[in-house]
Amino acid sequence: MSLRRHAQFISRTIFVQNNDVDKACRILNRILSKEEIFGQYRRTRYYEKPTYARRRINFEKCKAIYNEDMNRKIEFLLRKNRVEPFPGAS
Amino acid sequence: MFKSVLHMTKFPVLKGSVSADGRLTSLFTNLNVITSKNICTTITCCKEIRSQNEKVKVGRGSKYGLIEGETTVEALNINQQDLFPDADTPNRLFNGVPFKDLHIVNIKSSPNNTIFSFTDSKGLVIMTHTAGIEGFKNAKKGTNIAGQQAAITLASRILDYGVNMVRIRIQGIGAGRMSSIKGFQMAGLNVISITDATRVSWCPPRPRKQRRV
Repeated sequence: MSLRRHAQFISRTIFVQNNDVDKACRILNRILSKEEIFGQYRRTRYYEKPTYARRRINFEKCKAIYNEDMNRKIEFLLRKNRVEPFPGAS
Repeated sequence: MFKSVLHMTKFPVLKGSVSADGRLTSLFTNLNVITSKNICTTITCCKEIRSQNEKVKVGRGSKYGLIEGETTVEALNINQQDLFPDADTPNRLFNGVPFKDLHIVNIKSSPNNTIFSFTDSKGLVIMTHTAGIEGFKNAKKGTNIAGQQAAITLASRILDYGVNMVRIRIQGIGAGRMSSIKGFQMAGLNVISITDATRVSWCPPRPRKQRRV
């Protein structure tokens, strides 16, 4: 066995607590999908033609801009000028 | 009615149990005799079942579908102790055994099959098992039920071997990914940790061309 580039059982590892395998799995899956690891895996199963790659990247750019604007808008509408009534609850 | 009578004659075991006390409850005692091999199912990809007034598609839509927990939003306390490994994890003790000396179960879950191998801490293979060996053939190999069944069988063999704590190393995002881990737990094996070892590259060699369905 050659020396591995990443330490085994250190990266992408989660411990199961209280024998709750399901929850551990879900947390791991969510982290991996948020980090775009599954997305990249799915994308590289088949060759993505440059046209489609460009189209996808343009779409992602537009989406990110839209999301940023929308989040700012929502934040603006939900702004409040008062002391937090229940600190730490939201 | 005629059909059901014919069925009764076909299965003398069931006939005896029904006619003996005339109740359906005794049927359930025979249910554990029936394995998945005896139940004929259509190809899972195009199968729809009815559950509580709505149609549910059993198979997956695409070849690499979403997996459980990927999209759900769940409150997670990252600061929780001992959830993720740290520098001294390899020497952490689990029932007196350090983490680095625990046995490993490797799972490779592809869209068409689920392959297990049970190794010691060094990586020497002790036993292997697949959904295909379990008796599921062709398209059924790639289902979550096949993965779970195979996992349960392998887990009971591991327990017979004398190991009750394993760490799981999982690869690929097939249908058997979640269900096989669940199978290990159901069989009574103590799963210490789950590691994802899916091979992902951001500069891979050119993959095969797109499927045209």
